[in-house]
Amino acid sequence: MSEHSTVKDLFGPYLIGALQPEEARRVEEHLEACAGCREELRDLRSVHECLADLATAGTPPPDLKDRVISGLPRRASYRVPIAAAVAAVVLCTVVLGALYAAGLFGREAVASATLEPTDLAPRAGGELRVRESDPTDPNARAELEVWGLPRCDENEYYELWFGEEGGRVSAGTFRVDTDGRGTLYMTVPEEAGRYRQVGITLEEFPEEPRMNSAKVVLGGELRRS
Amino acid sequence: MSGEADEVLVRRVARSGDESALSELYDRYSGLVYGMGVRYLGDRALAEDLVQDVFTAVWRNAESFDPSRASFATWLFRIARNRATDLLRRRRARVRTIGDDKVPEPGEADPAGELSRGFDVVAALSRLSEVHREVLELAYFEGLSQREISGRTGTPLGTVKSRTTAALRALREDMLAEENG
Repeated sequence: MSEHSTVKDLFGPYLIGALQPEEARRVEEHLEACAGCREELRDLRSVHECLADLATAGTPPPDLKDRVISGLPRRASYRVPIAAAVAAVVLCTVVLGALYAAGLFGREAVASATLEPTDLAPRAGGELRVRESDPTDPNARAELEVWGLPRCDENEYYELWFGEEGGRVSAGTFRVDTDGRGTLYMTVPEEAGRYRQVGITLEEFPEEPRMNSAKVVLGGELRRS
Repeated sequence: MSGEADEVLVRRVARSGDESALSELYDRYSGLVYGMGVRYLGDRALAEDLVQDVFTAVWRNAESFDPSRASFATWLFRIARNRATDLLRRRRARVRTIGDDKVPEPGEADPAGELSRGFDVVAALSRLSEVHREVLELAYFEGLSQREISGRTGTPLGTVKSRTTAALRALREDMLAEENG
């Protein structure tokens, strides 16, 4: 094997600093005379530096996994056709609306918010109330009324979020009728009422998911009752 | 890496909302996503947000993953890169530092493309052959010397040295292929 090939094989451990002093000197002497090798080493160094940075960044805290798993949206809308999902939402709305009218959700609101529009939906508005549910139920109930929202395209939907600095939680997805209105009764995580802010984003089913494709159309401060 | 292929796991997530499959994907990739978050967002809390957002996106979008277009790792780190760019842009906190490296100013989302390149590296790392990925993980993430790697893997020391170089080279070439592909 030529000196050139032998030295090139040492670039990895050379960058890591894992060569014996005499081997490192051999590499450096070759580099002084070989422009091609200097260029290759420069390319490899950029990759090496990124890996080295990554190696010193540490590991995620052990409890993060539980937070991720427990914070997953509790819904199945991605696993059923959109038409079926919409039909199910309509049916649930009717049923839950009837239950609401019958007083089942007649408990006092623990938090509420008036939703203000953004430039993306300047005529939109909304009201949200969060109510405690049965003590045996780990979830809370939310009543959401929105109006003036643009109709969703076939691949779009709205998503309700509760959030504050350091975290957010999805409370569910919905679409609006042809007039841009929607009245929904949703099951939301119990802690939803303790968040400070609430917002609604327009999301889309992406070919390549980009969470930043979400557009905020409504937002507001959640007030504890 | 052992067990089911990434693509099988993400299909289980898509078809049946299988949390154990997502949990396995988390175990495989959360460290790299977190590491990139710390490196480029300059804040461990933001890095945790990034991990949470990325795996929530995997959960929500698993059905749109198309293995004929990209590997799971490529898809995952594309999500991570986009989300990290978003977090950088939105960040309003003062500039913080890690070591001596200043992170980009708030509002300047990845001005020099560093973040993109960083995520390209970790995505490429996930696509390396088993032997190449192993030697880099032992050298960088476990901090083993070349001799220790030789002992751990039963590979001659000279081979470990040349394999370390070959693995870095493969990583670089994979990134170039992705850029040009």
